[in-house]
Amino acid sequence: MSVLRWWWGLLLAFAILALGRVFLPLPFANEIVLFSIYAMGCNFLLGRVGFISFGQPAYLAVGAYGTAFYLFYFGSNPYVGILCGIVAGIVISLAVGALFVRLRKDYFALVNLALAVIVYYLMQKVLAGITYGDNGLWFLTSIASTPVLDLSRPDQFFIFAFLVAFAIFAFYKYIDDSIFGACCLATKINEDKLTFLGYSNFSIRLVAFVIANTTTALAGAMYAVYLGFVSPEITSAARTPEPVIVTILGGVGTLYGPIVGSLVYIGMKDLISKFVGNWELIIGFGLVLIMLAGEKGIWGTIEPLLKKAFSCALRRPLPRTLGGRSDD
Amino acid sequence: MSDGNNMLMVAGLNVAYGEAKALFDVGMTVRPCEIVGCVGRNGAGKTTLLKTIAGFLKPTTGTVTFNATNLVGMAAFVVAGVGIKYVPQDKRVFSDLTVRENLELASYATNDYDWSQVTHYFPRLKGMMDRKAGFLSGGERQMVMIGQSMLGNPKLLLIDEPTEGLAPSIVAHLKDVFSELKKKAALVLVEQNLPLVCAIADRVYALCEGRIIAELMDRDSIRPEVCEPYL
Repeated sequence: MSVLRWWWGLLLAFAILALGRVFLPLPFANEIVLFSIYAMGCNFLLGRVGFISFGQPAYLAVGAYGTAFYLFYFGSNPYVGILCGIVAGIVISLAVGALFVRLRKDYFALVNLALAVIVYYLMQKVLAGITYGDNGLWFLTSIASTPVLDLSRPDQFFIFAFLVAFAIFAFYKYIDDSIFGACCLATKINEDKLTFLGYSNFSIRLVAFVIANTTTALAGAMYAVYLGFVSPEITSAARTPEPVIVTILGGVGTLYGPIVGSLVYIGMKDLISKFVGNWELIIGFGLVLIMLAGEKGIWGTIEPLLKKAFSCALRRPLPRTLGGRSDD
Repeated sequence: MSDGNNMLMVAGLNVAYGEAKALFDVGMTVRPCEIVGCVGRNGAGKTTLLKTIAGFLKPTTGTVTFNATNLVGMAAFVVAGVGIKYVPQDKRVFSDLTVRENLELASYATNDYDWSQVTHYFPRLKGMMDRKAGFLSGGERQMVMIGQSMLGNPKLLLIDEPTEGLAPSIVAHLKDVFSELKKKAALVLVEQNLPLVCAIADRVYALCEGRIIAELMDRDSIRPEVCEPYL
């Protein structure tokens, strides 16, 4: 019973997402699933550990280029390519994380922004010999067909991305319920107190940082396979606030916030850009209004109401004929 | 070096916050299973002394020896691991976590999942395990914090102003708890509540402007009227 209780919210959320695929165009559905994975890392960092990062595109690019280098230069199996992206994400997160997580939270935000700029110029100029600069790396046609789920086909890629997203969200739900999740939240609330209990804040933050940014790198790797193309644009300055916006829009620290935030943000972007030229302006005002209306974000506002409604419905006694308890 | 019966020895301790010196050549000892009171005015350096012992502040000079282990230079979480628990003054629990999760964090760090001692001393916590700690009263938060520090059978508890702002009934309850805890661990109690200190402390150090100005070594001399001038 408790196992079912643990899974049911997750299953329901992804059942709705799967149902949405029937009505939504495939590119839009793929974009939402990929962006949800992308925003999940940012959501974990901000909601659980209290670190705001304006450098998430850097880790997205690390994953994307890790995959792109493999698929452009060495092989054609997209699964191996994604694995390369994940490994690149782990290595870079460990290397920079050991330095970054020691910083104060405001400096952390800025140093990550600086990293995004560094990665952009590395890919655009310094490593242009192997990244082809602004032209980017094209490998869509060299991606091999794979058995079971052929990632070179967008419809089958969606199924793969959907399953990966489900696994990622289940993993984060598990972390949320674990002692490590409690440690992450505790380091956000009162880091000194956690130290006095015998925990190393540095270790907790480093592990959380690596987990979050490896998730982001995974999203980058999947973007690379889906688009068959990677360019420095992926980590441009204009894109740095996107995951933070989606996280805040969805509801910081909530499990389903990244899905809701991605759905609304990408939906608004797609819909408004069809009718208005300067769509960024409209989206900007829209975001301000949404955030003013509910500072907890969309899911953060809805979730307590849903919980209350469900708990009221469950508390209502069943008729005696259905085995319900009678008060008399 | 551990000396005779002393569990903790602090010698020649000097601590500064940047250019501002907070402790001057402070020395103190704590024996197993005794309560040592620290009294003094605000700004006397009591909290600084506890934080330095707990590893949160690094002294400029001096030694802090606990069971023959020099603690100076150790990170605070390592100091906690050797059996010294610090209960800070601010009564800030992990407000977004439940009481149960707060205790679980302490349990996981110490590998001690036996909460019977905690619920024995603070039976009120039993009924509020699933309540967010942010919704607890000041007294209940203090219970959670002391409960957390009790897990893992620490050898020394450093408790900073535990009764500040609490109702008299809770203060009386905490007094009984501290007297009981003394049977298992030593306590260093920083307090301005002189009746409490005088009722339970075996020895008292009085601090003023970062220096130890008096040391009351026998129970008979530990009386409110004797301690009063040091506040």
